[in-house]
Amino acid sequence: MNIELAEEIVITVISEALEDLEDKAEVSDEMQLIGGESLLDSMKLVEVCLALEDLADEHGFEFDWTSEAAMSKSRSMFRSVASLAEEFANQSRA
Amino acid sequence: MIIVTGASRGLGKAITERLTERGERVIGLARSTDALDIEGIECDVSNYLSVKKAARSVKKIGEPVEAFINVAGVASMNMAVTTDESTVQKLIQTNLVGTIYCCQLFAPIMLRQKYGSFINFSTIAVALALKGESVYAASKAGVEAFSRTFAREMADFNVRVNCIAPGPIRTDLLRGITDAQIEKIISQQVIQKQFKKSDVCDLVELLIDNRSSSLSGQTLNIGGV
Repeated sequence: MNIELAEEIVITVISEALEDLEDKAEVSDEMQLIGGESLLDSMKLVEVCLALEDLADEHGFEFDWTSEAAMSKSRSMFRSVASLAEEFANQSRA
Repeated sequence: MIIVTGASRGLGKAITERLTERGERVIGLARSTDALDIEGIECDVSNYLSVKKAARSVKKIGEPVEAFINVAGVASMNMAVTTDESTVQKLIQTNLVGTIYCCQLFAPIMLRQKYGSFINFSTIAVALALKGESVYAASKAGVEAFSRTFAREMADFNVRVNCIAPGPIRTDLLRGITDAQIEKIISQQVIQKQFKKSDVCDLVELLIDNRSSSLSGQTLNIGGV
């Protein structure tokens, strides 16, 4: 999977997760997924991961959001939409 | 479907028998499935990749997991000063880390279905601070602390997490414990009698049942403390 498709998938999933928000937010590459600036609470973040797991299945790979390789980098894959999309694309090629 | 670790003997075996009798599909996780009388998946709970592989196998079955019961455990009754390093490591790795691995790696299945019940196993030795069980009690105190917090993390997804803390019940884990020692422990319980495996099974049934939907993050000490 190329990075463009991964980004499209991740942005769609996050947009759906944020649909209930009163103040609609535009999902950008730089949007933070964890920390004080994140619009996603922990429950929404889990729902995003589960949705990505399903979509990975459809694309014939396993998305491992608990992997040490993904989590132990100097910064988490959840630091932004772009980093999550990058990890999603990387795992599709592993 | 209900998953039970440590299903090949002792409490785990008794629990799987009880659940099977009532018609549940029970899958046992054990280091070797040879000793299992039920459907089984090989899994060493102290090994992250092994648990991950087992979780993947269960997910592939594609059936809801109503409960995950973490019974696998080891015991060693020694004073802390006479407990060797490898025993300390084994107690913490199997009892505490193994429980954490199973909970975190099987949780996504329950998060997805938005219901389920984790039942972890502690010991009455935690609440009673029993002499000669310091490292074992520490590993199980960790299980209780983990379970309380994990219960909060799971609550929004309608997944409950509780602990059962048995007193001295006759299983292999009590090898080498004298009747006098058992009597001494029992004398510290609120209900001063020796409970049986069947009493533990009764509590497991209760915690799986929807009638206990108000219970999460709790440790049920058998016999009371």
